[in-house]
Amino acid sequence: MSDKKKILLVDDDLDLLEQNKILIESKGYEVITANSSKEGWEVFKKSKPDACVIDLIMEEYDSGFILCHRIKKDEHGKDIPVFILTSATYDTGFKFDASTSEEKEWISADEVINKPVVIDEFVQKLENYFEMKGK
Amino acid sequence: MQESKPKILVVDDEKGLRIGVQRLLEMEGYDVDVAENGIEGIELGTKKEYDLAIIDLKMPDVEGIEVLKKIKEKYPNTVCFIATAFASYDTAIEATKLGAQSYIPKPFTPEELLTEIKTGYQKRLHLLEEDKWRREREERLLEVAFEKTRLNTIINSITDGVLVVNKEGLAVLFNPAVLKFLELAEIKVEEYILDKLRPEILELINKFLLSDLKEKRSYTIQIELKPNREFFIEATASPVFHPGENLAGVVIVFKDITELKKIELIKSQFVSMVSHELKAPIAAVYGFLKIMSDEKIKLTEEQKKDYINRSMIRLDGLLKMVNDLLDISRMELKTIKKEIKKIHLSEIIKNILELFQIEIQKSNLSVDFDYQQNGLFINADADEISRLFTNIISNAIKYNRPNGNIFIKISQVGNFILTEIRDTGIGMKEDEKKKLFSEFFRAKNEFTKNVSGTGLGLSIVKRIVDSYSGKIEVESEFGVGTSFKIYLPVSLS
Repeated sequence: MSDKKKILLVDDDLDLLEQNKILIESKGYEVITANSSKEGWEVFKKSKPDACVIDLIMEEYDSGFILCHRIKKDEHGKDIPVFILTSATYDTGFKFDASTSEEKEWISADEVINKPVVIDEFVQKLENYFEMKGK
Repeated sequence: MQESKPKILVVDDEKGLRIGVQRLLEMEGYDVDVAENGIEGIELGTKKEYDLAIIDLKMPDVEGIEVLKKIKEKYPNTVCFIATAFASYDTAIEATKLGAQSYIPKPFTPEELLTEIKTGYQKRLHLLEEDKWRREREERLLEVAFEKTRLNTIINSITDGVLVVNKEGLAVLFNPAVLKFLELAEIKVEEYILDKLRPEILELINKFLLSDLKEKRSYTIQIELKPNREFFIEATASPVFHPGENLAGVVIVFKDITELKKIELIKSQFVSMVSHELKAPIAAVYGFLKIMSDEKIKLTEEQKKDYINRSMIRLDGLLKMVNDLLDISRMELKTIKKEIKKIHLSEIIKNILELFQIEIQKSNLSVDFDYQQNGLFINADADEISRLFTNIISNAIKYNRPNGNIFIKISQVGNFILTEIRDTGIGMKEDEKKKLFSEFFRAKNEFTKNVSGTGLGLSIVKRIVDSYSGKIEVESEFGVGTSFKIYLPVSLS
């Protein structure tokens, strides 16, 4: 059981945080949570997760993006997959669309996952990263 | 032919001849006036217009030539004859130079006179006809010139751009406003213009110019001349036909629709914002249901209860948001009928505070409210005013710190009732203050994340205040507190 991968989940919507936690746990991962980017950073430093999943738009509009950036620059963080969760697109009125390649580059995340999370796809993507790292 | 009898003036100092001519002409159906000397002749001949005048050349007071001159000056169309016994070539020349019809040598037979008169009268009618035509022509020319200037003035003063292109592609008519729509510095009249137009506009014009069809309908296109909706235009092209149904050219009218496009954008942004805001609670409830219905996921009874409870809370928030949206839409459409009554403002606020009693106690807030027994009154719809202050007081409670204070003071300032509501809450930053009244704006930070709300409360407040020609002011310091000042017109009755 100790080889369970540890995943950090950050979202300011406590309901979605809980739901995603349960979903990801049901696929055999250990999930630790934080409900702000500040707390997310603290938990990240303390527990060194194997992967991070961060909601893009939290208390400050770009805080998910900043947290992602910080993790990616971190000594431990630079080697683990960091996923961004978002429902922000031009269509939903944001001046930012994470689905365009140019702006995806701007976010330092490895993957941008649209909400709501389709758990099987999500796990597949996550496993691909773990496999790549394993080689 | 004139209805009335032809009028003839006979000027002769010789009484016999005068009367003889008068009798002869009257018998022939003419209307005859006589003058027995030159002065009388001038007087009569210039007082009214005669068709014909027979003037004796030699008179004791004034020469017949003089009489002729005076009459011709006044009435150039009066046909004059000079009659004299002292015929000479020179006087005949002079008389015709001065406009005499002819020269009747005395003595003359009645037949000779009548023939002359008949010819003279034909001449008179001809002159009148000519005169009429000339006058009409002049009037028409004046009118046309006037119409043309008027049309030009109108076309030049409208703000829409107008361009008329003929079949050969020459600019035959346009106004100054059209230049900015065509992005040209100038156009010359009758200049070939097609190669200077944007492809979209050219294509529009060519729908008519290059088509054999006798298209009668208009075509409209929209072009974004400057990006980011800075300058958006609409061009409508319609065919112009000659009377014979052949295409004469195309008239294109350009409109600046930038503002319209901006409103359109705001509208669609609002719709996406609403969708986004509605999506969050729906996603949350959907997520809980999905987890609970997934047989592979084992949940305790405790967890299930918790999830149902949390789903209810999200649905409750969703319902509130939909209700707020409906209220905003009703305010926009002005379908709410205001029931204007005289309202005791202190009473309304007292009632609101009673409704919030539990929340106030929960956060252990102290409320400092100066209830005014004698009251200050406004004329308004009680429900709306209650809604207005409920939203503000609710914020003062929600965003306050535990053991904080709320101050409420009502006073009269000029013609307005000022209600000041101050809290010791989390306050706002400058940039947050600016967005305060816009839909769905909610300050997002550490302190607000556990506060629920639709993001529409203050937007509704602003709309209500505006609808009463009131004013709302906000002062706020981050971390210290916020103060709202609401001015509503005082009830004078």
